[in-house]
Amino acid sequence: MALESLHGVERYQHKWNEVQEEAALPEIGNFTNQYQLMMPPLPKAECQVGEYLVDETGRKMKLNYAHGTTTLGFKFKGGAVLAVDSRATSGQYIGSGNVRKIIEISPYLLGTMAGGAADCTYWNRVLAKQCRIYELRNRERISVAAASKLLANMVYQYKGYGLSMGVMVAGWDKKGAGLYYVDSDGNRMPGNVFSVGSGSLYAYGVLDSGYRWDMTDEEAYELGRRAIYHATHRDAYSGGIVRVYHIKEGGWVRISEQDSKDLHYAYAEGKTTTQ
Amino acid sequence: MARRYDSKTTIFSPEGRLYQVEYAMEAIGHAGTCLGILANDGIVLAAERRNTNKLLDDVFLSDKIYKIDEDMACCVAGITSDANVLTNELRAIAQRHTLQFGEPIPCEQLIMRLCDIKQAYTQTGGKRPFGVSILYMGWDNRHGYQLYQSDPSGNYSGWKATCIGNSSAAAVSILKQEYKVGETDLHEALLLALKVMSKTLDMTKLNAEKLELATLVRKDGHTEIIVKPCGRGAEADQGARGAGGGGRSFQAGQVHSQYKQA
Amino acid sequence: MRKMVFKRILSCRVNVSVVYSPASHREFSHYSLSLSLQLSYTVSRAADMDLQCLIGMKFNDFVLMATDMSQLQRIMVQKSDDDKMYQLSSHLVMAVAGEAGDTTQFAEYIAKNIQLYKMRNGYELSPSAAVHFTRHTLATHLRSREPYTVNLLMGGYDPKTDAAELFYMDFLGASVPVNFYGFGYGGMFTLSITDREYRPDMTEDEAYELMKKCISEVKRRFIVNLPKFRVRLISKDGLKDLPVIVAEGEAA
Repeated sequence: MALESLHGVERYQHKWNEVQEEAALPEIGNFTNQYQLMMPPLPKAECQVGEYLVDETGRKMKLNYAHGTTTLGFKFKGGAVLAVDSRATSGQYIGSGNVRKIIEISPYLLGTMAGGAADCTYWNRVLAKQCRIYELRNRERISVAAASKLLANMVYQYKGYGLSMGVMVAGWDKKGAGLYYVDSDGNRMPGNVFSVGSGSLYAYGVLDSGYRWDMTDEEAYELGRRAIYHATHRDAYSGGIVRVYHIKEGGWVRISEQDSKDLHYAYAEGKTTTQ
Repeated sequence: MARRYDSKTTIFSPEGRLYQVEYAMEAIGHAGTCLGILANDGIVLAAERRNTNKLLDDVFLSDKIYKIDEDMACCVAGITSDANVLTNELRAIAQRHTLQFGEPIPCEQLIMRLCDIKQAYTQTGGKRPFGVSILYMGWDNRHGYQLYQSDPSGNYSGWKATCIGNSSAAAVSILKQEYKVGETDLHEALLLALKVMSKTLDMTKLNAEKLELATLVRKDGHTEIIVKPCGRGAEADQGARGAGGGGRSFQAGQVHSQYKQA
Repeated sequence: MRKMVFKRILSCRVNVSVVYSPASHREFSHYSLSLSLQLSYTVSRAADMDLQCLIGMKFNDFVLMATDMSQLQRIMVQKSDDDKMYQLSSHLVMAVAGEAGDTTQFAEYIAKNIQLYKMRNGYELSPSAAVHFTRHTLATHLRSREPYTVNLLMGGYDPKTDAAELFYMDFLGASVPVNFYGFGYGGMFTLSITDREYRPDMTEDEAYELMKKCISEVKRRFIVNLPKFRVRLISKDGLKDLPVIVAEGEAA
């Protein structure tokens, strides 16, 4: 005891605590709880990130997220098909040409990305965690309806705070293939055919006119691929690699990943390509 | 042994009892008697009045029977200050319901809500239970006339006729004998109430000053709750002399006189 | 608050004109971009609630409700088998139009609370009490950080009083009992028809025909494509789905 006070251990301990406190990370809510993002200290109406950005001429600038995307998903006889492009844009520039816009949530669940890449990745990861926990707790896989509802409810909490995402959640559960559209406005809806992103208008054109319930698997892949390809052709904000996934009873399967340029020349020659 | 378990409400005794709750019930056994009788065309509450010091300046007409909202009244036995807290709470619960749903609260719901509070005080550390039992009379469009009783533990139950407070056991046994299920009208219920009170109250002669009476009847789509204190000497005396006797008036003094004549 | 309402109204005008401009997609996004510089975000949100259409009519012993089946997003029809009606209790239906997300979240919140009431008490809330509760909830949230931007029609039948009931409720929390009403721009076209033809003693068939007439007019005159309407009837026997009305008619 005497030695302790002589050497000032206690005092040192005290100092050490202070040092630790200073070194502690700032309080960022989502480090401990993923549902709690740190909020700007402003009323909601003023929270739009874009309101505070200014371009080189000093003009206020709306932050336009990477809306430039084409993603699509549809259900058919043989399950569900998701197809996406791979281009990420920031403003006029192509940020990346090799993005994985289909997020593998679990072996039976896929999500697609459109909108803010960070938002989509982040919330899909939280969803993945949540789905895994559900599986461990309940000893059965989560349904697509439940998974999409989880996502929609999480995102609705932040409605109006600037999240930007349009996600399709697709998977296989007891009811068969499931396809839901969820976005940051709070929308959530089941459906047979969806397309999201700036190229969706073009994709819908091909998709709607070629869609039948009783397509074969190969026809379905080709429909998805073609729809994305035509969207990449017309939409400057879409491009890169066309990825096609198939969701069936045993989970999802990656069908193909082809450069849209190669597809372009293949289609130009009048060939239908399958890998 | 008991000392270790009765100072904290939240702890069971080795015999599995909650002493504080039982003591609270015990306290009510010494409180003024309250009686309720359900009739086909209304309900009666009767309460024994203990504070009859003539020096007491009666500010309130009654101190045991409270109106809760348009369709309900209650009568309390136990610690008056605790009862005040609970009746305030009852009124607030009723008004909150009306604010939210635009219609009066159904009787049982109100009692259930209050009993949730009473129960919480038997489980929360450092708190003591409310030393109050309550008789409620009320009307709602679902079950019509209703009579309920609740105790400090947070239990409640519905009755055709019941009694709480001092010598309630004796009163209940008289009621059991005399109450005719489904054949009692309000007048008979009043007479029965007075009979039971006069037999069970600890005094030679039942005195109007010692009683509070209330009736609840439906008239023209409205609930009419009349709380009649008998404390006003003049009024009670008048009644006792049998001067009125005016038919089926609910004025307590007069009813009392009728009873004596009967 | 008043300022906010004003902004909302303003936004409806402006944005709707953008939606119908024959501009290509990119021009459209340019529009919305420049618009969003002038107006705050909450403003542009309220725009498409007026494109949705809810119609309700109350008769002596039943209520007829119809809602369009389109789910619109910006310039696209995203879904054409949507259901905008939510069953709150055995004899009560709520039709909701409004801000995306708010509609489902609010309707489900109310529906679950009303079901909870039934579980707790063993009986259901009367339609008028349920409407009161809904209005109370809406009005409480109105002055919070995040108000629900939803317009509703609530139609029900009270088995205790044997009365059909229909209530108008808007996102500002005004609740009014009505004989008939139509929400949204589509609803405006129907109001004069119901004003002209409504009788409280109509039979179910007559009422259905009247509803058809209203929906044809929406199809005929309203610029937005709302081809299909889901129709439900609420009477003492509870809820009944009537055949979907696919509108016919074109402007003369």
